[in-house]
Amino acid sequence: MKFLKLLRMLVIRNIREEKFLTFLSIIGIALGIGLFTGVKVASDRAITSFESEIRGINPHATYEIFDRSGTDFNEQIYRDIRFIAEDSLPVIKAFGYLPALHDTIDINGIYTLKAAQFLKLFQGNKELEGGLSYKNTDWETFYRTINGILVTKRFCEKQVLKKGDSLNALMYDREYALKIVDVLDAAALPTNTVIMDIGNFQEYFEKAGYLSRIDLATDQRTADEIRKNLPPHLGVEKKEELFRNRKALVMSFRYNLQFVSLIAILVGIFLLYNTVFITVVKRRSEIGILRSLGADRKTVILMFTIQGFILGLVGSLLGIILGQFAAYFSVIAVEKTISTLYSTITISDYLITKRDAIMALVLGMFVSLIASIVPSYEASKIRPHETSREGSFEGRYRRYQKSVSVAGILCILSGLIISYLDYRNTPFAFPLLAYIGILFIIGGFTLMSPFYLSLMLRFFERPAKYLFRSMGNITLGDMKGSTYRFSVALMSVAISSALIIALLILIFSLRGSLQAWINKNITADIYIKPASCRANYCFNPMSEEVVRIVESFPEVEGVDRFRGLHLDLHGKKVIAGFADIQVKRKYLSRMYADSEYEEILKEMEGDEQVAGISEYLSIQYGLKKNDTIEFKSPAGNVAFRINDVSSSYSTTSGFVYIDRKWLNRYWGLDDTTQISVYVSKDTALNQFIPRLKERLLPEYSLEIWNNRELRDKVMDIFNTSFAITYAIEFISIMVSLIGVITALLSLVIERKREISIIRYLGASWKQIRQTLMLSAGIIGITGIILGTFLGSLMSMILIRVVNKISFGWEIHFRIPLIILVTILIIVFLTTVFAGYLPSKVARKIDPRKFVSFE
Amino acid sequence: MIKLENVEKSYGDHKVLRGINLEIRRGEFISITGSSGCGKSTLLNLIGGMDIPEQGRVIIDGVNISAYTDENLTLFRRIKVGFIFQFFNLLPNITVFENISMPLLLNGAENDEKVRAYIQDMGLGGKENTYPYQLSGGEQQRVAIARALIHDPEIVLADEPTGSLDSETGTMIMDIIQRLIRETRKTVVLVTHEAHIAAYAQRIVRMKDGIIFA
Repeated sequence: MKFLKLLRMLVIRNIREEKFLTFLSIIGIALGIGLFTGVKVASDRAITSFESEIRGINPHATYEIFDRSGTDFNEQIYRDIRFIAEDSLPVIKAFGYLPALHDTIDINGIYTLKAAQFLKLFQGNKELEGGLSYKNTDWETFYRTINGILVTKRFCEKQVLKKGDSLNALMYDREYALKIVDVLDAAALPTNTVIMDIGNFQEYFEKAGYLSRIDLATDQRTADEIRKNLPPHLGVEKKEELFRNRKALVMSFRYNLQFVSLIAILVGIFLLYNTVFITVVKRRSEIGILRSLGADRKTVILMFTIQGFILGLVGSLLGIILGQFAAYFSVIAVEKTISTLYSTITISDYLITKRDAIMALVLGMFVSLIASIVPSYEASKIRPHETSREGSFEGRYRRYQKSVSVAGILCILSGLIISYLDYRNTPFAFPLLAYIGILFIIGGFTLMSPFYLSLMLRFFERPAKYLFRSMGNITLGDMKGSTYRFSVALMSVAISSALIIALLILIFSLRGSLQAWINKNITADIYIKPASCRANYCFNPMSEEVVRIVESFPEVEGVDRFRGLHLDLHGKKVIAGFADIQVKRKYLSRMYADSEYEEILKEMEGDEQVAGISEYLSIQYGLKKNDTIEFKSPAGNVAFRINDVSSSYSTTSGFVYIDRKWLNRYWGLDDTTQISVYVSKDTALNQFIPRLKERLLPEYSLEIWNNRELRDKVMDIFNTSFAITYAIEFISIMVSLIGVITALLSLVIERKREISIIRYLGASWKQIRQTLMLSAGIIGITGIILGTFLGSLMSMILIRVVNKISFGWEIHFRIPLIILVTILIIVFLTTVFAGYLPSKVARKIDPRKFVSFE
Repeated sequence: MIKLENVEKSYGDHKVLRGINLEIRRGEFISITGSSGCGKSTLLNLIGGMDIPEQGRVIIDGVNISAYTDENLTLFRRIKVGFIFQFFNLLPNITVFENISMPLLLNGAENDEKVRAYIQDMGLGGKENTYPYQLSGGEQQRVAIARALIHDPEIVLADEPTGSLDSETGTMIMDIIQRLIRETRKTVVLVTHEAHIAAYAQRIVRMKDGIIFA
C-alpha cells in the first residue's frame, strides 16, 4: 500500500502533470514499435506465403520431387514413383495474374480423387477440419467444366466473388477464362490458392503430359530409394529443406528492414530515457527526503522503472495499432519486391496476430526497461543532503566525463573493427557483426556526446558572444554547466541527421549503381515477356510463334531469345539467364560502350564453357574469376569457367549468365521465356510498337515495352522496394525530432526555478526565448555535425558490408550533396523551432511560484 | 522614494493586503516583520515589480509602476532592484563568477573587473570558477549579495537573508549587508522573523493579516 501511494505521488502524478512530455514519449515509443512490428509482420507473411506454396494443399507431404531447373517435367516418372511411395500426389501448377482484380492466384492442378485419399478425407481426419471436403462440393460440375476452378471462401470475400462467376487470368503468354465452380470453406488453404482437376489443367493450358512436382508423404528410406530411380534432372528433397532455402531469401531483406526500424526504436529509447531522467531531476529533493526517511535504493529504482514501464506499455499498445497500419503498407511493398526480385508470392493476410501483439508488447517493455534503468539507478544514488545541492548531479557526471568519453571512443573503435571483421570474413550468412558494429558505434557516439559538446561550446563562445552579446554569454555559460542534459537533445539531433545521411547516401548510391547496371544491361530497343510474369525473370516458356512473328517484321534486325531457368547450386536455387550473347554483343555499343564488357561477351560467344556470375554468389561461395562453377543438368554435371563477376540488381538469389547454346546442349531446351528486340536505327519506335502490339496482342497476353519504359519500370520497382526504407527513414526522423523537442522542453520544465530567478533578475521573455532558441540552434549545429560523422560511418558499413553480404550488391558511393544539405537545413530549422516551443511553455511560468520568499 | 497608496491584493478569494499605505525614503533601511502569511512576501513582490496590485498604486521615484506593462516592469527590475533570497536562489549550473555577472549581462553592461572586485570584497577570492553546490550556505549567500548589488540598483529587497544560516554566519551576512548599504546608500527593505536581524534596520514595520499596524 505504501509503495502504491509513493507510486501515485511521485510517478503517476508526474505523468499527469507533464502531459505533453508524456505524450511525446509515448508517441516516440509507439512509432518505433509500430514500424518494427509492421515490417516483421510483412516479412513473416512473406515467409508463410513461401511455406504455403511449398506445402501446397497437402499438409501431410514431407518430400517433393521437382525438376532442378524449375521447369515442368514429364509425368511418366509418376508411374514408377507411385509404386515406390503410395502416398504420392502429382501436381501441376502455375501462377495466374488477374488484371481486373490486381491480384495473383496460385492454380494447382491436382489429381482430386487421389488427393481425397491422400488427405484421408473419407476417414474424417480432424486435422483437416475446414480443408477439402467431399461432402458439399459440386464435384460433377468441377470435373465436367474444363476451365472450372475451386476458390477459397476468403478469396471470394476479398474480391467479392461467388460461385458461377468468371475470371480472366493471364497465364503463360495468354489470357484464359476461368469459371468458379464452387467455393471452398477451407481455412487450411492459403487465400489465393485455386484448385483445378489435373486433367482439365493439362488440357486447358496445353500442358498435357507435364507435372510441376510430386508431393510425397514418406520417410527418409523411401525418399533415398526414389532418389536412386530418378533421372539426373529431377531431384527429391525434404519440404523443410526447400522451405529453409526459400526462407533465406526473405531473411536478408527482413534483417535489413528490421535493423533500420530498430534504430527508430533506439530513438524511442532516447525519448523515454529523457522523460524518466527529467522526472528524477525534478524530484531530486523528494527522493532525497524519501531516502532520509528510510526508503532503500531498490524502492527508488522500482519507482522510476515503473514510470518507464507505464509509458512503454501505453506506447506499445499504441504501437500495435500503428503497427497494423504499417503492416498493411509493408505487405504491399514486400510482396512487390520479392515477386519482382525472386518469384511470385501472394500475401493476402496482413493482420497482426495475438503473437505479434504480444511480441510488440514484450519489445516495448524491454525497450522501456533499458530506457529507464539508467536514470532510475541515478535516482537511487541521490543522497539526502543533495536536496540542497542543486547542480550536484551534473557535477557528479563531470567527474566521470573523461572515463565515459574514453569508453565512447573504445566503443566506436570496437564497432568499426567488428564491422570490418564481417567485411573480411563474413562468418554468418547475414551481416550480424555489421549490425552489432553499427550499434556499438551509435553507443560510442552517445557516450562521447557530452565531451564533444563541451569541446564545441568552446568554438561557439566567441561567435555567440559577438552575435548575441550578453544572451550569448548567458546561454553558453548555462550550456557549459549542463552538458550532460543538453547532450540528450544533441544525440536526438545527431541520430536523426545520421539516419538521413546514411539512408540517403545508401539510396542514392544504390540508385546510381542501379542506373549504371541499367545502362549496361538494358540496351535493346524493345522488351517482350508474358503478361502473367510479374518478376524480372520469367520461367514459363513463351510460344515460339511470338518469336517468329517478331522476327518477321522487316524493321527487326536482331532478337535475343532469353531463357530463365532455376539451377541447383550446392542445394540452393539460383537463377540462370541463357541469352543470345552474339546478338547482345552485336548491338551493345549502340547504347553502351565498354570494351572490357565486350571482351567478356565475346568469350561467352566462343566454344569454351564460360559463365558470368553475380557478386552474391561470389560472396556466398567464395567464387572468383577463373574459378569453376558446376551445375546439375539432365545431361549430367556441367562445369563453367567464371569469366565475369558483377553485381546483379535484378534478383537477390544469385544470378548466372550463360550463352544459350549450352541450354540446348545440356538441358535439352531451346525455348524462350522473354525476348529483347533490336530494330534498325531509322525505325520510329512510337509507330513500330503499336503495329507490333496490333499483331501480337489479340492472340497473346504479353507486355511490350520500349527501352525507356523498361528503364522506368525498373526504377519504379526500386522506388517501391525502398518505400519501406523511405517510410522508416521518415518515421525515424520524426521520432528523433520529437526527441529534440522533448529534450529541450524538459529542460525548460526542469529549469522553471532557474527561469524564475532570471525573471526576478530582470530578464525579459524575449531574452529568455533568445537563450532557449540559441541553445536549440547550438544543439542543432553540433548535433548535425556529429550526425554527419555518424551517418557517414553508418552509410559506409551499410553499403560496403551489409548490402554486400545480404544481396551481393556492389554499390558505388554517391553523395547527393544538394539534397542532403537541404534536408539538414530543414532539420536545423526544426531544431531551432524546437527551441521556440519550450519558450512558449516558459512564458507560462509564474516566477513567484518557484522563488519562495518564506 | 517608494510609496504604496491604498494598495490591495488578493489571491483568489483570499485578501492578502488590505489598504496598505507605506512610504520609504531614499537610502532608508527598513525591516518588515510579521507572522507567516501576513502578506510580507506579497508586499515585497509589489515593490519589486513582480506583481501589480488590484487596487491602489506603487510609486517608485514618482512613477506609478502599477501601470507598467510586463516589459517595463522587467526593465525596472533589471535596472533598479536587487533581490536577496532566503534560499540564495543561485543558478546551479553556472559558476560563482557567472552568477554574479548575471545582472550585468542582462543589462548588456559586462564588467569583469567589477565582478572580480565584488568577489574579493565578499571574501570569495579563488572561488570564481566553483559551482554553487560546492559552497557553504554562508558563501552562497555572499554570492547572492554580490549579485544583488553588482548592477548598482537603487532598491535592495531581502527576504529572510539569514533564514537558512546559523546565527554566527547570519550575523556576518548582516554585517556585510549593512556595510555595503552604508557605503552605497541604497534603499533597503528586509523581511525577517528574527528580532535581532530586524534591529539592523533604521525602522521596523510590523504587519498582521495584510495590514501594517506599526
